[in-house]
Amino acid sequence: MANIAVNRPGSTVLLMGNEAVARGALEAGVGVAAAYPGSPTSEVIPALAEVAAEMNIYVEWSSNEKVATEVAAGASFAGIRSLGVMKQNGANVAADFIVNLNMTGIGSAGMVIFISDDPGGGTSNNEQDSRTIAKWIDNPLMEPSSAQEAKEMIKWAFEVSEAVNLLTFVRGVGRISYTRSNVVLGELPGKAKPRPFFPEIWDMNNPGKSKFTSGPFPVFHKPLHEKLEKAREIFESSSFNQYMGPEKPDLLIITCGASTSYCIEGVDELKMNERVGILKLGTTWPLPEKLVARHLSSTRKVLFVEEMDPFVERSVMELAAGLLPATANLTFFGARSGHLTPYNELSTDIVINALADILGITYQPRDSAYEDLAEEGAKLVPNRPINMCPGCPHRATYWALKNAIQLDGRNGFLCGDIGCYSMGFAGPGFFQSRTMHAMGSGTGVASGLGKLGRFGFDQPVLAMCGDSTFYHAVMPALVNGVYNNSNFTLLIVDNSATAMTGFQPHPGTGQLATGEPAAIVDMEAVCRAMGASVEICDPFDLKKTTETLLRKMQEDGGPKVVIMRHMCQLVKAKRKIPPAYKIHVDGSKCLADNCGCNRLCTRLFACPGLMVDNETGKAAIDEALCVGCGLCSDICPVHAIVKEEANR
Amino acid sequence: MAHAEKGVKELFDEVINQGLCTGCGACITGCPYIVAHGGRIVVLDKCTGAEGDCYKHCPRTSFDMDGVNRAVFGTVYSDGAIGRVLDIFMARAKDPEIKKRGQDGGTVTSLLALALQEGLVEVVACTRMDEDKAPHGYLARSRRELLRCAGSSYEVGFGLEAYRSLPKESTEKLAIVGTGCQIEAVGKMKQCSPKNSPDPQNIRFTLGLFCGWALSPRTFHPYLKTMCQLSQVCKFEIPHTPHYSFDFHFENQDISSVSLDEIKPYINPGCHYCWDLTAEFSDISIGSAGSAFPGWNTVLVRSPKGADLIALANRKNIIEIQALPEKRIKHLKSVALKRKRAAVKKITEKTGSEKELLYLGGLSESIAHKFLAQ
Repeated sequence: MANIAVNRPGSTVLLMGNEAVARGALEAGVGVAAAYPGSPTSEVIPALAEVAAEMNIYVEWSSNEKVATEVAAGASFAGIRSLGVMKQNGANVAADFIVNLNMTGIGSAGMVIFISDDPGGGTSNNEQDSRTIAKWIDNPLMEPSSAQEAKEMIKWAFEVSEAVNLLTFVRGVGRISYTRSNVVLGELPGKAKPRPFFPEIWDMNNPGKSKFTSGPFPVFHKPLHEKLEKAREIFESSSFNQYMGPEKPDLLIITCGASTSYCIEGVDELKMNERVGILKLGTTWPLPEKLVARHLSSTRKVLFVEEMDPFVERSVMELAAGLLPATANLTFFGARSGHLTPYNELSTDIVINALADILGITYQPRDSAYEDLAEEGAKLVPNRPINMCPGCPHRATYWALKNAIQLDGRNGFLCGDIGCYSMGFAGPGFFQSRTMHAMGSGTGVASGLGKLGRFGFDQPVLAMCGDSTFYHAVMPALVNGVYNNSNFTLLIVDNSATAMTGFQPHPGTGQLATGEPAAIVDMEAVCRAMGASVEICDPFDLKKTTETLLRKMQEDGGPKVVIMRHMCQLVKAKRKIPPAYKIHVDGSKCLADNCGCNRLCTRLFACPGLMVDNETGKAAIDEALCVGCGLCSDICPVHAIVKEEANR
Repeated sequence: MAHAEKGVKELFDEVINQGLCTGCGACITGCPYIVAHGGRIVVLDKCTGAEGDCYKHCPRTSFDMDGVNRAVFGTVYSDGAIGRVLDIFMARAKDPEIKKRGQDGGTVTSLLALALQEGLVEVVACTRMDEDKAPHGYLARSRRELLRCAGSSYEVGFGLEAYRSLPKESTEKLAIVGTGCQIEAVGKMKQCSPKNSPDPQNIRFTLGLFCGWALSPRTFHPYLKTMCQLSQVCKFEIPHTPHYSFDFHFENQDISSVSLDEIKPYINPGCHYCWDLTAEFSDISIGSAGSAFPGWNTVLVRSPKGADLIALANRKNIIEIQALPEKRIKHLKSVALKRKRAAVKKITEKTGSEKELLYLGGLSESIAHKFLAQ
């Protein structure tokens, strides 16, 4: 990870988009940054945490995105510039606070939230377009088209935020957050920060001046819309809104964010620079209407290029409707016309195809045999289904759980949650997980299912959550279960890290974002205090774990918690904890495809550290991947997989 | 074999989900996919093997009567009631400890203890009740261990899991004790060796137990728990006629009794389809149903190996032997035939045709006719 506090203004460094965001916040003089980890934004906080002491800033991992936003707001209220960071799902968690924050407005210091969306859903279980939130809560929104612009935009967003006294969103996507590119550094401010202060107290006679207490009064709502209009005015002349192309284009592309590059490349590829203009909007809400109206009047055809929701498309078409009849001869293309899709990532190819269709050009991008050759080529690549890491404790938990559910024989129903263990819906979790939605919702759904006995629902109910997820959103759901005496078994798969997003510490790990020691919030004590029964298992003790789960499934009463405690193998590797065992396969015993085995280890258990020896057809250990956990030895029906204590 | 290319899926489709499973335990333990739990056969995961020993050795998949008979006795199956018999008599243990622990005459325990003592076998695969009085397959390697297995629970116990739990490479000389269905499964294994269990050649002899039916652990065991403090029970007994009861003998010598009519609803459903009262493919069959006097066992010697063991027991003077009255033999035969007819009736009710006899489909026409005759 690059050190983002290098003080060499004007020099060019290679930065990941998320690092550029962090650098932008530093250049803006941010004092407080808070977030809950979530790809594609997980690297912003570590980049800031690394230089926290050096730059005299406060950086934290918060227990969830709502709290992170509240922490940041507190700083703003006290006059300290603050940054909140979250992925698209996190924006929903934070929304309940934000919809009230927009009423009071922020403090005297700017507050910016960087949200990164995930078109294509590579690291998410949804493809939500979080821009809509800016619209429904009436806050300003900007979209950077590169890492450089992300840095500049974050900096400017603080100024806008202060100018209009509103939280300001900067919205990236995975391609912006994760792409590394050259970024020219700006000035860093000094370490000194303003002294926090709270100047205002509630004044019944002057509520507009009173800060930080929201209410359903028109007195709050009217100023919000005035602030938004002010933001619109600022956006009209923003240099982040740029036009490239002829004065009177045959076709005007209106685009924003990461899609901008696809448009530039597409127009270049088709050599249509004389005919097609590109209006790239950096400020997408509120829409800079005058600027857009000027460009609409210069053309007859408009193509919207943006990923996921037709957000700008609808805003502009709304505007065009309002400008009738001046806009009557315009034709619009985009998601509505079917030239683009309101889902999945865009690409230069998709833009080219849209342009070619609209402009009536024939475009042959590749040799006609290309598709066939590509298909042939794809066959050379081994099929790599999703899987958990070698020796992952979740695999052990799922193995024991699968067996317990089968032994119980009543079709136990597992409600899944968000984490590495989400893979439980597929092969890596032996298809055990039946639901998966938001963080904490597995426990909430289980709490509901656990009350359906009166309607004849007789399947045992289970829920699973990770350690970090437990602190994030499971606790209220568990309280609900205890309060309403709902019968379900909650498995907390405690692997000592927020593993899926990159091993960030959380309230149970005893470590802060900056690496300093922290109080440990004891999940076992928390669950007990809530009134749930608690047992702790090491999932690698398959027999005890299976028996415990079976017994818990058959117990009556309110929620039962089983903490599956075993450290993530990658955390072990990071801490240089040596493997427990040395594993080898006794080929003479291995039954392989034969009756009595049928490749239990490589076909079903499927730890990536196991493979089939092509020569002998027997199971073998992939020594490059095996972490020596020894679990495969325990499941081998004929003890052909041998574990020996490793020399430590 | 007749049923190649069938595995666990077909085992469930054709046997277990059809209510035919007798709980013999032949399909479990040697396989990581199938286990017995709570009186059920449970599949832990999907086996994709097209052909499985689970299916092959199940006594309720097609049963090649002549083939098994040939594998066990070297001849085709001929009898229609109590199977091949070289000798028939009644016997009881002389050893007072065995006498006390045994279910009736203690003959089974006596013969097995002798076999262990004389080194004829090193291990006995049998069934043992746990603390909770639920039966499980058990490997006894000493007289002391054997004595702990004496007595009947009358419940399905998946006893063959004991044999299946031995490692394939085991060369231990073995005796297997079991009911008809279990001995049938062993017969099928002798006919076609299991891939993942010790060579059936290691099985030096089989002792069959008379069995009219067994109780379902899924339904009967919970009932049992409501009836008494199970840890205080030392023996369950269905006493000889004219009694018609199921008795609980307690450690403090108390006996309590319930009518058999109360017990019968808990009979394992698969047992109603069973044709084999006297365990016809064993070396020696022992029991009391339909023939013996209280405190005695009826003994059917079926093979020369069985005869040798009896001869040894005589020489060592460990059992007491008396002739079984002709009237009793006749009665035993009639009870055994009744069982067969009842089983075939159940089967034809299920299939709706006298031509479709499920696992007995391979019976020769003349024998099938005997079973069908009313």
